Amino acid sequence: MGERMTALQDSLDRLLDSPGVTGVALIDAVTGLTYATAGDAAQVGTGTEVSDLAALISERLGEAGAVGELESVVMTSRRRHQVLLSVPRSAGDPLLLAAGLDRDRANMALALRSLGDRAREVLA
Amino acid sequence: MKTPSARNVPALLQALHQEGFTGTVRVSGAPGGTIHLRDGRVGAIETPGAPTATSTLLASGRIDDDAWLAACAAEPDADRLGHHLEAAGLIGAAELEVVCTAAVYDGAFAMALSPPGDWELTDREPTLLARPGVDPRPLAEETTRRIALLSRLRGPAGDLARGRPAPVVDRAHPASGGGLTPRHRELVDSANGRRTPRDLAFARGRGLYAVMLDLIRLEALGAVRWETMTVPEGRPSTAPRLPPQTATSADEPSQRAGPLPRRRPGGGFPTGDFGAKDGE
Repeated sequence: MGERMTALQDSLDRLLDSPGVTGVALIDAVTGLTYATAGDAAQVGTGTEVSDLAALISERLGEAGAVGELESVVMTSRRRHQVLLSVPRSAGDPLLLAAGLDRDRANMALALRSLGDRAREVLA
Repeated sequence: MKTPSARNVPALLQALHQEGFTGTVRVSGAPGGTIHLRDGRVGAIETPGAPTATSTLLASGRIDDDAWLAACAAEPDADRLGHHLEAAGLIGAAELEVVCTAAVYDGAFAMALSPPGDWELTDREPTLLARPGVDPRPLAEETTRRIALLSRLRGPAGDLARGRPAPVVDRAHPASGGGLTPRHRELVDSANGRRTPRDLAFARGRGLYAVMLDLIRLEALGAVRWETMTVPEGRPSTAPRLPPQTATSADEPSQRAGPLPRRRPGGGFPTGDFGAKDGE
């Protein structure tokens, strides 16, 4: 989005301080537009992939009878975790905070709690 | 400061980006629009085809009308209005960046849905800006991606934008009643068979592209019926095209001095808006 540091970029950069977090991105959950990234963006996937995945899961959950908006998705592979968190917003389309985590360095429970808390501050 | 001859709007914006241009590009047509550049980046797009950042903030209720009017009175230069909104605690800087950036991409998408007319360059006009703004190349690439995706999912995006979705009242179909997210439910409630996706976007304070994507999902779920209207001229390609060389020279005509758009022999429009006609 540009070379100059913006408030959003600064906000995402701070998320890299969390143990094991290697890359983060703020993504529009509907359009797939990536607003900003920090760290290794390749670890979190493209905006369209992330938004498509979240939409698919949300729809399937809805068909299964779940009520409300999707809150989070955690995917785990041998070396990595990928986490999608819904970013709370008082108005506007939903946003997703996508984070890639190194399994060797991240405590999943602590990382989820930390990212969840900080996701609420991303738009401050 | 000279602008190389541009074959279409993306090429013009790319040339203006290299110049670090600050000012306004007015594009005629239906819907046409006004593109605001600051230091070569697209800071805002105003078009009748999609809500601006201001429309989004007000229609969604993110900022109430009275607070907005007070902010505008306190900061008459709209270029600096964002700083004032943040300082007044009406919205955070990061959220405003998200809203304004989304509106830029949505405005470009809306303008690309139909062939453009002429364009002209004018001085800076104050407006609420995305900061630092969007580079023209990713803007054109994203616009192309959006139109291609809609065409793949449902058909020509321009035709789709002219349709008037209506809710499906079918008790036998579970998706038409329950199982929808609140966002989808609100959209179904707003669709009445008379509103176009653009109308719904303005009414809900949402982006046009986001509304169209949601309508496609809702149609697949059987919650809306969406018959599209086909027009013969179709839409222009949004593939970015650049002039053969981007360096300026004294011999090249200034885009501001001479006749601005190039016309095709026998054709009525300059080639392309956020792209060119006939898939070029």
